[in-house]
Amino acid sequence: MTRYGMAIDLSRCQGCRACVEACKIENNTPSAVFWMHVFRLEQGEYPNTSISFLPRPCQHCNNAPCVKVCPVGARFKRDDGLVLTDFDRCIGCRYCEVACPYGVNFFNWRDPEAAFADYQVPFDDPALVPVTGGAIPPYKNPDLEELHGEEQRLTAGSAHFKGVMEKCTFCVQRVEKNLAPACVQNCPVGALQFGDIEDDRSPVSQFIKDKKQFKLLEDLGTDPSVVYVGGTPPASDAHEIERPLTKVEA
Amino acid sequence: MTAGTVSKEPLPQGVGNFTGKWMIVTGIALLGVIVGIVGFLVEKNQGMVATGMRDLGTMQGATWGVYISLVVYFVGVSFAGITVAALIRLFNLEHLKGVARMAELLTVVALILGAMAIVVDLGQPLRGIVNLFRYARPQSPFFGTFTLVISGYLFASLVYLYLTSRRDAATLAKRPSKLRSFFRLWAAGYENTLDQRERDRRTSFWLALALLPLLVVAHSSLGFVFGLQVGRPGWFGTLQAPAFVVLAGVSGIGHIIVMAAIIRRVVRAKRRIGMDAFAWLGRFLLILLLGYLYFVVVEMLTLIYQPSIAEQGLSEALLTGTYAAVFWGSVVALVLPVFALAWMAITRSWKLSWLVAVGVLVNIGAIGKRYLIVVPSQTHGQLLPYGVGSYTPSWVEFAVAFGFFSLGVLMVAVFMKIFPIIELKDETIEVELDTEEVMT
Amino acid sequence: MSRRSVITTLMIVVGLLLMVLAYFVGGAPWCADAVECSNPRLEWSPAIFVLGVVVAFSSAIYYEVAKDKKE
Repeated sequence: MTRYGMAIDLSRCQGCRACVEACKIENNTPSAVFWMHVFRLEQGEYPNTSISFLPRPCQHCNNAPCVKVCPVGARFKRDDGLVLTDFDRCIGCRYCEVACPYGVNFFNWRDPEAAFADYQVPFDDPALVPVTGGAIPPYKNPDLEELHGEEQRLTAGSAHFKGVMEKCTFCVQRVEKNLAPACVQNCPVGALQFGDIEDDRSPVSQFIKDKKQFKLLEDLGTDPSVVYVGGTPPASDAHEIERPLTKVEA
Repeated sequence: MTAGTVSKEPLPQGVGNFTGKWMIVTGIALLGVIVGIVGFLVEKNQGMVATGMRDLGTMQGATWGVYISLVVYFVGVSFAGITVAALIRLFNLEHLKGVARMAELLTVVALILGAMAIVVDLGQPLRGIVNLFRYARPQSPFFGTFTLVISGYLFASLVYLYLTSRRDAATLAKRPSKLRSFFRLWAAGYENTLDQRERDRRTSFWLALALLPLLVVAHSSLGFVFGLQVGRPGWFGTLQAPAFVVLAGVSGIGHIIVMAAIIRRVVRAKRRIGMDAFAWLGRFLLILLLGYLYFVVVEMLTLIYQPSIAEQGLSEALLTGTYAAVFWGSVVALVLPVFALAWMAITRSWKLSWLVAVGVLVNIGAIGKRYLIVVPSQTHGQLLPYGVGSYTPSWVEFAVAFGFFSLGVLMVAVFMKIFPIIELKDETIEVELDTEEVMT
Repeated sequence: MSRRSVITTLMIVVGLLLMVLAYFVGGAPWCADAVECSNPRLEWSPAIFVLGVVVAFSSAIYYEVAKDKKE
C-alpha cells in the first residue's frame, strides 16, 4: 500500500520560494493564501544572528487533529496518506483551523473573484481574454474542478467558493497521475522529495536514508508525513523576518 | 382598578395588556434585531471577510472571535437557568418558586441565541444545518455541542417549561379573555386535582433528575471543544470542561438576579419574589464565583510557573500585553462582586441595587473571560514561529452581537405578554387583583 | 401498571435506544485514519440521535397529558 510522504532537505533550501509560486499556480490559490509557506527565520541577537529557511507544507499527519475534530467529515485522511478537504461537504466552521498546530489551514473569506482581484492583474484585459477564455486566474487549472480518488470527492484546488476551508493537498490531482506535487517538481535545488515513504527503495526514502531526521512539533503526537533532514527544528528564539503579503480586506 | 368585575378584569402580570412602555421596549429591541439582521446579511453577501476574523498562521489573525465567544457565553448562561429551576422543584424551595419560570425561559432563550450564534459563524450556514444532521461525527467535540446542547437540551428545557406552566394555563383558561383558547390549548386538559398535582410533582422531579446529567455532559462537551486541542497553548488542559460549567453557573445566576429584579418591579410582584429569594441566589452566586476564581488562580499559576515558550507569550499577552485590559477588567468584574456578596451574606442585609450591579458585573466578566478563552490562544499561541497576530472585531460582529441581545429581550418581552412570567399562586387570582397588581 | 406508565416507559426506552444506536452504530466510527472515518455508517444518524432525545423527553409530556383509562 502506497503511503505518500515528503522529505525536505534544509541544507539545500535557499529561500527562493519557487515552491510557493509553483503551488500557487498549480492550485490556483488567491492572494494571501499560502498552502506552501517558507519561513525565513532569524535566531540570536544582532550581530550574532543566523538565518534559516523552513518550508512548511501541510504535514498530512497520520494522527491528524484536524480530521478528528471535523464535525461533518469534510476533512479526511486517505489510505495513501493524503489529508484532504471535501469542499462540497465543508460547512466552514473552521474547527480544523484552530485544531491544527502547524497553521496550514486557510478559509475562503471572500468570493473567489474578490479574492483574485487583490492580485491587481487585469485578468479581464481584452488582449488576454481570447487566450484564456476569460478564466480567472488566467492559468486556471481544469484538473481542479474534477472529483478525485476512489472516494470521488471535490478535493483539489483552491477558492472554489466562499465559506469553506482548504489547505495543501500534496497536489492530489498530480499524485493521481503519478506526478510529484508542484512544489517538489519546481525546486531548483532539489530540496524537496516526494514518494512512498513505506518503500525503502523509493527516491524519498533514499533521500533521507542514514541522515539525521526530525519532524515538526513531534512531541504533540500528530505523526506528520513530512520529514526534515539537513537541519534542526526551529530554535525557541527563532522568529520570522520577511513575511509575505497577507492582508485581506473586504 | 377594583376587584369584582369579573368580565373586564385584566389577566395577571399584564398578560395581554400592551402598554406604552412595553411598546417602546419592544420597539427598541426590534430595531436592535434589525441591526443584527443587516449585519448578518452584509456578512453573507460579502463573505466572512466582513468580520474582523482572519486565518491563523501566515495571516496572523484569529479565526474564531466574537461569535464563538458568544456561543460559549449564551450556552453558559442557559446552564444556570434550568439548573436553578430544577433545584427549586427538586428541593421544593418555596421562596424561590417565583423565579422558576423566568429561569426556565432564560435557558430556552439563551440556547436559541447560542444556536443562532453558531449558525452565524459558519461559512456555509444552510449547508451546515443540513450536514450536521446528516453527517455529524461523534469523535468531534462539536457532535456533543450540536446534538446534546443545541437540540437535546433545548428540547428538554422546552418540555420542562411547558409542563411546569400547564397549571397556570388551566387557571387562566377559566377566565374570559382574548387569549382564552390559547390557554386552553396550552393547558391540554389539565385538571387541578390532587392526583394531577402528585403526577406533576413526580414528573418534575424525574425530569429535573434526567436534565441535570444531560446538562453536565452537554456543557462539558463544549469545554472539550477547546480543552482537547493539543495544538493550542492555553486551550489544551483538563480544567476547561469544569471551568466552563462553573462560569456558566456564574453568568446564569447573574442573569436571573437581574431578570428577577426587573420583572418583579415591572409586574409589581415584589411579594412573589422576596428578598429571601435574592439572598439564596446571592449566596449560590457567591459560592460559584469563589469556585470559578479558584479555577482562574490555578490556571494562571500553572501558566506562569513553568510555561512552554508559547505559553510564556500567551501569559505575557494576558497579564501585561495586548489583552491585559480585558483580562484585568474581567478579573475586577468578577472579584468586586465577591466582596459585595460576601459583605451582604455576612451582614445578612441584601440590597437589591447591589445585587443587580453584581449580576451585571459578573456577566461583563463572563463575556470578557469567554473572549479571553477563545481569542488569545490564536493570536499568541502559535507553536511555529509565525509571529504575533491580532484581531479586532468589525462593525458587523458588533451589530450581530447587539442583534442577539436585542432578540433575547424581545423574546422575553413577548413571552410576558402571552403568559404570566411568575408562577401564579394557587387559587389566588382574586387575591392578586385585590392588591392591584396591574401593569402600568 | 397503567397503560400510561407502560407507554411512558416504552418511550423512554425507545428514545434511549435510538440515542445509543445512532451514536455507536449509525454514527461515523471513532477513528481518523481512513476515508470510512469521515462518513456515518448510516446517514442522518445524528438526526436519529436528536430524535431519540426528543422521544425520551416527550415521554414526560405524554405522561402528564394522557388521560388514564383505568389504573
